[in-house]
Formats: sequence, C-alpha cells, structure tokens
Amino acid sequence: MQQLISNPAKIFRHFGVQALLAKQAKLSPLAYIHAGGACTPALNNSRKLIFSIVLGLSCAWASTVQAGSGFETADASREAYSRINPDASPEQLAEAFRGRGVFRQSWVIAPAKDIETAGLGPLYNQLSCLSCHPKNGRGQPPATPQQAMRSMLIRLSLPGQDPHGGPLPHPVYGGQLNEQGIPGVPGEGMVSVDYREHKVTLADGETVALRTPSYRFAELQYGPLPDGIQFSPRVGPPVFGLGLLEAVDGQTILQLAEKGKQQGVHGHPNIVWDDERQRNAIGRFGLKANVATLKQQIAGAFIGDMGITSSLHPEENCTGIQTACKQTPSARQPELDDAQLKSVLLYLRLLQVPARRNTGDPAVRQGERLFDALGCTACHTPALTTGEFPELPPLAKQTIHPYTDLLVHDMGEGLEDRRPDFQAGGREWRTPPLWGIGLIERINEHSYFLHDGRARNLTEAVLWHGGEALPSKQRFAGLSADERLAVIRFLESL
Amino acid sequence: MTKPFRTLTWLIAVLCSNPAIAKEKLTVLTAYHEDVVSRYETAFEQAYPDIDLAVIWKMPHDALPYLSRPQQSGVDVYWSASLRNFLALKQQGAWQKLGIDRGGLADKLGAMPLIDSDGYFCVTEMAGYGFAVNPDYLQKHNLELPKTWQDLADARYQGHLALPIPSRVGFAPMMIDSVLQQYGWDQGWALLSGIVANTRLVESGATFITDIVGSGERGIAPSIDFFTASAIANGAPLRFIHSQPTAYSPAHIAIAKASQHSDAARRFVNFILSETGQKLLFHPDIRKLPARAAVYADKPGNYFDPFAESAEHPVVYDPNRALPRLALNNALFDRLFTDRLQRLQNLWQQLRKHQRFAKTDQVERLLKIRQLLTAVPINTAQAETPSVQQIFTDRSTDKKAEAAAQALEQAWRNEIDSRYSDAENLLKQLEP
Repeated sequence: MQQLISNPAKIFRHFGVQALLAKQAKLSPLAYIHAGGACTPALNNSRKLIFSIVLGLSCAWASTVQAGSGFETADASREAYSRINPDASPEQLAEAFRGRGVFRQSWVIAPAKDIETAGLGPLYNQLSCLSCHPKNGRGQPPATPQQAMRSMLIRLSLPGQDPHGGPLPHPVYGGQLNEQGIPGVPGEGMVSVDYREHKVTLADGETVALRTPSYRFAELQYGPLPDGIQFSPRVGPPVFGLGLLEAVDGQTILQLAEKGKQQGVHGHPNIVWDDERQRNAIGRFGLKANVATLKQQIAGAFIGDMGITSSLHPEENCTGIQTACKQTPSARQPELDDAQLKSVLLYLRLLQVPARRNTGDPAVRQGERLFDALGCTACHTPALTTGEFPELPPLAKQTIHPYTDLLVHDMGEGLEDRRPDFQAGGREWRTPPLWGIGLIERINEHSYFLHDGRARNLTEAVLWHGGEALPSKQRFAGLSADERLAVIRFLESL
Repeated sequence: MTKPFRTLTWLIAVLCSNPAIAKEKLTVLTAYHEDVVSRYETAFEQAYPDIDLAVIWKMPHDALPYLSRPQQSGVDVYWSASLRNFLALKQQGAWQKLGIDRGGLADKLGAMPLIDSDGYFCVTEMAGYGFAVNPDYLQKHNLELPKTWQDLADARYQGHLALPIPSRVGFAPMMIDSVLQQYGWDQGWALLSGIVANTRLVESGATFITDIVGSGERGIAPSIDFFTASAIANGAPLRFIHSQPTAYSPAHIAIAKASQHSDAARRFVNFILSETGQKLLFHPDIRKLPARAAVYADKPGNYFDPFAESAEHPVVYDPNRALPRLALNNALFDRLFTDRLQRLQNLWQQLRKHQRFAKTDQVERLLKIRQLLTAVPINTAQAETPSVQQIFTDRSTDKKAEAAAQALEQAWRNEIDSRYSDAENLLKQLEP
C-alpha cells in the first residue's frame, strides 16, 4: 500500500513530548499514557481524555485496511472524511474539536444569546458549512429545476478585472448570488438548473448519455442581470486533506508545470492576490485555484456563503443599493472571531485522508496501470512531497497521494464557464484532488462529479474531459468495457 | 449533437429579471441540526414545488423571544424539541389549532401525550433515553449489559460510567427527571447517588459522550439515543440500550397564529407527519423515533420501536410533569453530586468495601451510612411546591429569585456536608 507519510518520526517530533516518548517506548501514545509513562502527570485529565478519544476512535472505527500514518485513516465508513489526525498534541486536538463544532454548527440570525453562533446573513446561501460540504464531502446539484440549490452556488462577475486581477464583482449582486436573506432582507434571487442530454458513442459501441446543464435566474430582487454577466456554478467540494495541499510548496507546483510541458500538457499555476499578505501568490484552493491560503478560503466561504464577517472580511456582504441589507446590524464585530477562525483552520488542516482500499484487487491494479498509460497522471499527479510548513510543522516533508498537480488546465469548451478568475481562463479548472473519491457514494449518497455536478458517475466525469485532457479522454473511450471498468475500479479504490 | 450546438445549448442560461411562477414562501423556525433540516427541505420541496421553504435556525432560548415578537417575526411553523416553548407560547395564544387529519397517529404513548390537549401542537418524533454502551469494553471488564437505571447503581459498574451533568448538557435534565418519575423522588435521588458513585461526570453534549464510550474511556454512558444510534449506523461498534421502561424527549410542531400562509403551513405539518416525512427519520444521520406507529413496519434492522416497547414496558414518564422542576433538579444535582463528587465517591467506595465484609452487628450502621449518602435535603412535597420551583426557574433573570435560590442552596449545602461528615465518622468507627 502506498504510504501517505514518508516520515512519521517527524510527526512525533512536532506533536509533543509524550508522543515522542511513546515512540521511544515502542508504544502508541495512548498505550504509553495508559501505561503510566513519565509524561502522564504533565497531562491533565481532560487533555488525556481528548487524546485518548481520538486515538481510540481512530482505532476502534477503522476497517481492516491499515492506514499508513497520522494523516491517513483506514476508516472507510461514512465518517471517513471526518477523522482528525490522532497524533496531534492534546492542545491541538482540543482546538480542532472546537473548530469541528464551528464547522458543524448552524449559524443563527442576530440578536441571539449565543453570540458565538450569531451573525447569519443578512444575505447568505446556507446556514452551515456542512450544508455545502455534507459530512466533509461533496455537495450535489438540485435533482429537478424546481429544487433550490442546497449545496451549490453561483459565482457572478462582469467582464473585466478588479484592481488585483481577480473577477470584477457585479455592482449590485456582488461576486456570488445569495439566494437567501434573513427576515426583512430579500434574498437576491433563485437559480434553477435543467439538463439536456446528448449521447456519446465509445469505440466498442457502448453509448453514454452526458447531460449539459442550463441555468435560469428568477425572482431577482435587486434588478435584472446584464447581458454580459459571467456566472459559474460551483458544487461544494470535499474539505479533507487541505492542510497537506497547502503544505506543498510553490516551487514544487512550478516544477510540476514545467514537467507537464514535457508531457504535452500546459497546466499553469493560477497567480492570485493574497489579500492577507498584500502580494501575489500561487493559488491552490477553490475550483479554479483562485485562493492562496486555506485561511482565506475559509474566511471567504464564511462571508460569501453565510454572511459571517471575520477579521479578513470585516464588512457584511451588502452592496450599495441593498439598503435593507446595509441597515441590518451585525451580531458582533467580527462575527467569526479570530479564535474561531483559527480553530476551523486547524480542524481542516488536521483532517485525515482516507487510505486506499482494495489495492490488491487485480482490476484495481490494472486500472491503475491504465490510468497512467492513458496520460491521466500527467495532471492527476499520484505523488507529491510537501515542503516546509512552519504554521503546522507535522504537515511538512510528507509524501502524499492527492492525484492533483494544483495547476489549472484547459478542460475544453464543454466545461467552459466563461468566467475568468485571475489567470485561470473560462476553460481552465484546477485539477481536482482524487483522494477519497471512491468513498463519495457511500458517504454522500450520490455520485455527482465535476465543478457543477453534471456528471452522474465517474465514467461521465471522464468523458467530459476536453481541451488538453482530450487525448486521454479519447484513449479512455477507446478502451474495452472491461478496461474502462478497471479504470473506474481504480478510482473507486482511492 | 454537434459541438457548436452543444455550446449554444450551454449558453441557454436565461437571465431574466422577471419572477417566474412566484412561489408561496413558508418560514419554519427550528433548532434541528443541518443533517435533519437539509433532508426535510429537499423532500418537502420535491413534494410541494410551489412552496418556497425558508428555514430559520434558533436555539430554544432564542426562539421563545423571537416568536413572542409582533407578528411572531414572520414565522409560520415552529418545529423543535422544546416542550417548554410550546407550552409558554400556548399561554400567549401564539398558536392556531393544527386542524389536521390525525389518522394513524396515536394521542398517547403510555403516560406521554403525543398531542396537546387543546390540539395546538403535536409530537413529530421522539428520542429515547438509555445507555450508550461499548460492548468490547464490557467484555474486557466482564460486565453485563445494563437494562435499567437500577443496574447502573450496582457496585460492579464503579469507574465504568460517564454521566452528563444536567445543568450543563441540554438533554440531561429530562433524563434525570425520568429517573425521579420512574422510581419516585426519594428513591430516585438515592439511585442517582449510587450511579454517580460509579461515574465520571461530563459537561459536554451527547456527541462527546458517544466519543467517550467509543474510545473505551468509559464503557457505559446514559444518554439520548439518536447520537449513538447515528454513530452506530455510520460504523461505530457501539450499542444503545434503551432503559426499561423507556422515557422519551418529544419534539413538537405548531402553526403560528399570525401566519399568513396557514394552508402551506398545514401542508408542511402534514408532510412531517406523513409516512414519507416520518420515514426520513430512519436515515443513518438522523435516527430519531417516528411518532407514526405504522412506519416501523419498514424500519431498518435493529431499529428501536417505542410503540412495541411500550406494550411490554409501559411508558411512565410524562415530560409535562417534569418541566416545572427541571431547574430545581439541576441545582440539587450540582449541590449533591457535582460539587462533592470526589468526597461522595470516596464515601461510597468505603461503604461498599465494608458491606462486602460486614458483620451482623455492623449492618445497622452501614444502613445508616447508606441513608446519609442517599438522602436529599428537600422532600417531594417541597420540590412539588410551585413557588419553590419558580425560584429556580427564574433565577437567571430575576435577582430576587437568584438570592432566594442561593439561600436555599446554602441550606442544602449545610445539610449535605453535615450528612457526609456523619457518614465519614461512622465509617471511621468501622475501621479496625
């Protein structure tokens, strides 16, 4: 089995003395504590408890697959995307639990007695992080045109760029359509999605129906959208493994771009504005790699999706003519305080990644070989090594298997959204990480893939690949049914 | 289809400012978790595409003032597990009669009413109280599965339990009161004293309690069923044993008197109570107990059926009876147990040690010690006195009530300390 972490000793070094002592004693940290190791008195009961709980849960709920490290979990149950690295220090685990609470809670409209959960809106899409990232996994598009978007949203912009090269927000609706408003503040409008199918015939004669979405804006409460409006639908992606992706250093990403050119693909990093550091940086989060850091991604989602202010976004998400929105007082300033933001950041950074399963299955092994032979690995890079990461050292120098190069690639006009985002053009999307993709159906109870959820299964997702992925897609379409199935089995093992 | 045509199709994103078919907006106030709300939103929307469902989330302590505002803040339906709010708002005249067809819905489950006596609100689901159990832990420590609260007070469970503190954990007050209703005031507190002797008290909620048992830090934890049942459905190797007879925490639904969308509200209520709506409760991420008995015919394997259970062990717990004294119970629990946990557990430990080797002439003394450890400083008549109950209910908002509560608590402290001191002295006399 591939090892996610190449240097577990590093974790012990950084995650506290008791863990290191445990390692020296050739015991698990839990066993060491229970064995009455020298470090025990240094831990108070609650800390010991938290430490024990996470370790215990990781062990108790694991399936028969053995995980490779603290950043990988052998758990393949419906909780697999929600496991926290058990090697973290008791203090870190306590903070991560607080972050888990913030991530899972439903936000309430101000005023409220529980000030730490107050501040939803005035305009928003959903009231909890979990709405778009159910069980830390993938959202999905509405099943019918009549249904509202529950775990996806629509980004908006006008042609042109903001002063930093990013999308130019609509002067009234901003950068995202907020369908909901708190009482007294009209939601911005509704979007319905409908599909038209077309059939693709593969080399062996099998036909696959692909569905093309179309979107209809209705009940727009703040006036019509102009003809030139740019919009981009986005389904909420999984949130595990993000700390490891953040720890991949920029030089590695640049090298991947160079290496890709030698393989005939021309992915490039999306250079975006890092608002916190006030400089350009390589983007790595968001479906177009349009956000530089995980902290900014989190704070952006809080303000954009839920209307929760933070120190990074101190203003409510109201534009000039949204008077009711502007007149609504905030719950406090900021509504998500720095301690809460930090705890969510740590929680997401410490989430484990599901270990691969069924790696001995001949079909999986054949599929893995085909995945490489088809050229998929030119972008879905199987292995990366993280760089130095002073903010959370255990994330540093780890060999990981995310199946992404963190670059944006031309995916063809079929997937084009016509909404550039910094240096990512309308046809360009960041290679999505594939780790854990095989558990989506079990955990999220659906199999909708791609940025807008148009693909109803993995085969459809592959067949939507175009642009510089077109040759790989064509080679996939040229495989026999058994070979295609092997590729899918491989993906399901991730 | 040709590529240009597909592109053209993609471009058929109709951007119009005119409303399409305007939907009727229905506002529901709830405290349900997102896992519950999102599933009901989606299912209701499928059943009633002409209704635009807006959900507002508020905890019960914020929901009451919110629904007490003019026009009830525009809320059409209140749907929550907060019987106190439903009753308080009924007093305010905040509800309209449900006026729904209740065919297939029982009016009572044993002693627990499933509909308001005047038809203003009704139960939509229940959560049962019982014991989250780690079977591996029990096997490792050679412990039997507990079935009743009385079992938990047995000395063999010493050090193996985790119990939520009712003043800190939302679901716990009713659970504690269910023991008092089942066993009576004096015997109930005596039983709780024995249970606390075996227990680590915890301040965090049910997720944490399930974590404690799941990790093997403790083997048994009295709790509310759905957290553990959901964890089990998602792969956790745990069990949940409903206490016999089981007590339930009900959730209710009501239609606001000021609602401008009464018909849509009624459709929502009917949907929640319909077979479709009730079966959603079976989802692994929800695991609540439907109020419609017939749907249990399609329950997942090993799903608890309160109606079948009630036939064998009739429900004795009535949450309506519990409400007035919950605050008093919480204060008494803290003064008896939370403040003196170590001292109480030491006393119980010594008592049990002496009981194992007791000589005939020591029996009376041991019984006296036991009585000192299990007595409560307020009798059932005093605890049932409305003016006493009100002191504790109002203490957080009324300075006079707080002062009166503190005075009572000081008297309790004195009495408890005196009893524990007596017990310590008697135990010393038993030492060789």
